[in-house]
Amino acid sequence: MSPLLQQLSEALAETVETAGASVARVEGRDRLPATGLVWSADGVIVAAQHTLERPEVRVGLPDGRAVPARVVGRDPGVDLAVLKAEASDLRPALWAEPEALRVGALVLALGRPGARVLATLGVLSALDDGWRTPQGGFVDRFLQTDAVMFPGFSGGPLVDADGRVTGLTSSGLVSGQNLALPLATVRATVEALLAHGRVRRGYLGVGAQPVRLPESLRAAAGQDTGLLLMNVEPDGPAGRSGLLLGDTLVTLNGQPVRSLESLLAALGGDLVGRRVPARLVRGGQVRELAVLVGERSE
Amino acid sequence: MTILQQLSQAMAAVTAQARRSLVQLTNGQRGGWPAGQGSGILWSPDGLIITNAHVVQRRALTATLPDGRELPARLLAHDAARDIAALQVDAAGLPAIALGDSRALRPGDWVAAVGHPFGVAGAATAGVVIGSGPDLPEQARGGEWIAVNLRLRPGNSGGPLVDAGGRLVGVNTLMTGPEAGGAVPVHVVQQFMHEKIGR
Repeated sequence: MSPLLQQLSEALAETVETAGASVARVEGRDRLPATGLVWSADGVIVAAQHTLERPEVRVGLPDGRAVPARVVGRDPGVDLAVLKAEASDLRPALWAEPEALRVGALVLALGRPGARVLATLGVLSALDDGWRTPQGGFVDRFLQTDAVMFPGFSGGPLVDADGRVTGLTSSGLVSGQNLALPLATVRATVEALLAHGRVRRGYLGVGAQPVRLPESLRAAAGQDTGLLLMNVEPDGPAGRSGLLLGDTLVTLNGQPVRSLESLLAALGGDLVGRRVPARLVRGGQVRELAVLVGERSE
Repeated sequence: MTILQQLSQAMAAVTAQARRSLVQLTNGQRGGWPAGQGSGILWSPDGLIITNAHVVQRRALTATLPDGRELPARLLAHDAARDIAALQVDAAGLPAIALGDSRALRPGDWVAAVGHPFGVAGAATAGVVIGSGPDLPEQARGGEWIAVNLRLRPGNSGGPLVDAGGRLVGVNTLMTGPEAGGAVPVHVVQQFMHEKIGR
């Protein structure tokens, strides 16, 4: 029998074992536990937000210890939560260089819903630009795999042939799709949650729907569609800045606003508390108005 | 030869070897495709065959050996909880499968299964071990199992799961998802044989 296949088998098992040293069990719900990834040696663990259903959380460490953990914060927009486990000597996951990722490359999906790490094998199926989740969060890069998401794998890593993490998987991002979060998104969320306990998002306090602009105004507005304000909270950021029911928002801070999704994309956390220009159509004319952006509460 | 060609040949060789010890089990109802079909494993040269208890269901079976012979198979022992059954055919000099070490399996280890999924004779599927032991997620039954990341279908039941060396590590038992299934570890089969058959 050829030793090559046995070498392949051993290399796969070694990769799982090595990467599994940074994969923890996350006990945050009554049914099957889920998985978390060690972010730093001092006990910071990243998990899938949807797997934390109760306030008390325990973490099963790769060395077999089970310790209590505090929920530092959650970002439902990208289905991430940051936990602080009572442990100090953990092995942080090694992440792959984002430039090294290639479609078709071998990946293993890891999880630890029980005592030991589990693995499935597949390839990186798709790699594309940033996208917005149905929950309104922005993900810096689209990562998809055909590796099976075994029960309890959410919050676990997708690792490459070097055992380095290429993404954090969650079945809660888009149901029925095996998607993963890239390093940039995980890092930004972890840093925001550690610093503020929450991820800041801009807020206007409006209800709106996309409409086509009158043909005569398209050139002046610089685009064909905008967002018609159907509702403006009187004491909300938009209301206090002078936006009115019936206005059609065209751009915010220079970014085109053609759909609710593009408005959410324009309302990044960096705009909170800032006065930014809004272009809108009111009474058949294109106008500019300064809007003081508020912060969305969870 | 490129490494991919070498790997491909090695996978085909392991599969061919597993198929030499693969038995087809039918309940005698001809034409009822694919009703009553399952797989079995040649355990010893003198005609012992291992399969799942749920394949046998205490009925008289016909075993089609790898050389094409069709022989009546007599039920020797049966354990529904561990889903193992032992059958006997009157034959000698059969190509018994080599046994591997299911306790040494690790997540990520390469494995292949052969069987008769939906009646397709001797079909192969390959993948990796997800994990093994008594504490796998969503495992309704007790006992020890191997979770595998490959494509098991009705008719794979009772067939061999082999490792990268072509040795038997499990008896394929059920599908738990489109690309995941479960197998009875070979050391559990060995315990069963020791208890029930005395060998």
